[in-house]
Amino acid sequence: MELALVALLGGVLALDGTSVGQFMLSRPVVAGALTGWMLGDPALGLLIGTLLELYLLVSFPSGGARFPEGTTATVVAVATAVASDTAGALPIAIAVGLLWGQVGGFSITALRKANGFIVPEPADSRADSARVATAHLGAVGLDFLRGALITGTGVAIGRMLVARVGASWPLGQRESLALILVGAAVSVGILLHDLGGFRHRRVLFAAGFALGIVGVRFL
Amino acid sequence: MSALSRRAVTSTFLRSFLVQGSWNYHTMLGTGFAWAMLPGLRRIFEGDPEGLDASVRRHLDHFNAHPYLANVALGAALRLEADGTDEQTVRRFKTAVRGPLGGLGDSLVWAAWLPTVSMAALTLWWLGLPVWLVVGLFLVVYNAGHLALRIWGFRIGLRDGRDVALTLSEARLAQLGERIKSIAALLVGVLAGVVLAGREGLSDAGPLWIVPAVVCFVAGLKIGHRAWRPAAVATVTAIALIAWWGVLL
Repeated sequence: MELALVALLGGVLALDGTSVGQFMLSRPVVAGALTGWMLGDPALGLLIGTLLELYLLVSFPSGGARFPEGTTATVVAVATAVASDTAGALPIAIAVGLLWGQVGGFSITALRKANGFIVPEPADSRADSARVATAHLGAVGLDFLRGALITGTGVAIGRMLVARVGASWPLGQRESLALILVGAAVSVGILLHDLGGFRHRRVLFAAGFALGIVGVRFL
Repeated sequence: MSALSRRAVTSTFLRSFLVQGSWNYHTMLGTGFAWAMLPGLRRIFEGDPEGLDASVRRHLDHFNAHPYLANVALGAALRLEADGTDEQTVRRFKTAVRGPLGGLGDSLVWAAWLPTVSMAALTLWWLGLPVWLVVGLFLVVYNAGHLALRIWGFRIGLRDGRDVALTLSEARLAQLGERIKSIAALLVGVLAGVVLAGREGLSDAGPLWIVPAVVCFVAGLKIGHRAWRPAAVATVTAIALIAWWGVLL
């Protein structure tokens, strides 16, 4: 029952990624907290959402680009971590989430190819308003099913993995978190690169860095 | 525009939220665009089903733009149809605006607004704010900008029709994007500082962890997006190897 509910949540949130609204309910930071709330641990949900958001800060649904799907990745990661209170639950959930983001990305590409067969050809004289509406809403329905299927499969695999190896994880929580943050530092660098590079933004970056360090000391 | 009722206009605007619902590599937003136009077209071609179908087919053509700024084209196309503009002019207009609306939207929203609000939310979480406040602030602030852009785009399109390009250039959205990017650059620094020194940050685990993090940061800074996949693969591999090592112990 819980797996079905999580899969449904994954399907609904995945719709927000591209097909419906793009209110950013699909971003890891929101999807993580919502999944955590649903499964009774919003703090863990937001922690995982925050970590995956750090990785996926530079991933957005731009045009025809292939991008890792953060939504299903986050729902899968949170549902994986919540199922186990072992030391390895968090890092294994993040690893599963990062892998599943790629799987989700491939499934989006496959759906977009399939949509090409569903939508009516502009040159087709039989294309009328009813056919357009059926094709369009049908494609939205397929996206929901895709999200639910990817989420459900990911959670089943993730929970199996964490049940097998979670308890024997040899690192402490601080070291596990640091390992994840080291990888995420790449995204922070990419973001600064996209914003114009270090040379162009060094003053603002340095000012922000100092503000961050000082802010942490006082807050 | 006299042919358009408030209800048809509102319905078209609401449908714009699903404009990417049937995104495909052939016509991209084409089908979604035609579907969103339907309430307005039904009103314009009331009592003329053949005219309606012909008009729907016109809008099925290949079209792509940023989903929020697609509203500019949607409003303008509705205005052109209501004014009885000829088919070729409507097609030429859509072809002319799709590139700029895509580039401008990507630069303003995906490359500036979204990362800025995301980084602000992440920073607030690292500073210890409660879950509901972090998520609530992220959604409210992001969507204030999102909805303002959608409503403004649709309104200027509907008002100005094919002259909307002038209104767009006067709005100086590119300059607005640059200003937001400056704030984002400041927030990248704040986030780096907070992740380094904050609770559950890198320094908590010991200074040795800071060295590989700096190496990764510099790799991302120098190589850009090509560094993302190797970093993700390395993280997953490292976690898998450590888990395997734990099983062997």
